[in-house]
Amino acid sequence: MQDILAQLPHRPPFLLVDRVIAREPGTRVVAEKMLTLGDPCFQGHFEGNPVLPGVLMLEMLAQAAGFLEAGSLQGQRIFLAGVQEARFKAAAFPGDRLELEVRPEAAFGGVSKVRGEIRRQGQTLCTATLLLKRGGP
Amino acid sequence: MNDLKARVKTMIIERLKLDGMTPDQIDDQAPLFGDGLGLDSIDALELVLAVEQTFGVKIEDEASGMKAFRNVDALTAYIAENQRA
Repeated sequence: MQDILAQLPHRPPFLLVDRVIAREPGTRVVAEKMLTLGDPCFQGHFEGNPVLPGVLMLEMLAQAAGFLEAGSLQGQRIFLAGVQEARFKAAAFPGDRLELEVRPEAAFGGVSKVRGEIRRQGQTLCTATLLLKRGGP
Repeated sequence: MNDLKARVKTMIIERLKLDGMTPDQIDDQAPLFGDGLGLDSIDALELVLAVEQTFGVKIEDEASGMKAFRNVDALTAYIAENQRA
């Protein structure tokens, strides 16, 4: 957890990576996020029927992509600049342990393209391509 | 060369989804970024990928990219040069 706080500028309740399982900078990152009923988003999405919002799945992948960098992101500004071909194939619920996998596809001029996938016990819940930009929105 | 230039313009329009634009509306000399076509850094990454996928020509670094993406004439010349190589 200390390593995660050192790597990402995000903090609870918007820190969406619990653990990094595999980290090969520039090649691949596998991380984990455990969902609990106490997570703030479930209070209203939806009352009596907690479902993880799809946009938070995209944010989880973006945060996991922060670990593709060899160095810490503290002090650096990297922004989500685009989302392509996002698919939400199945919903996620409190109690789920989500596996987040990201792989870089291309980079040019401070913009990188990353392919991400979220799985729960081998079942794919979400796939998306993210565009991340250094410097500012 | 003119045939290649037409294919370059078509690639730009299709890849960057410049809907409603036709190849002859793109000026050969107008800057692709900023004032001309008004492309941004995300478009640049898409163009790098499109050039590689369409013409098999790699744009390895930013210096080559800045040269190639000056305008359509420059990009066409870059592709012609590196296809031969």
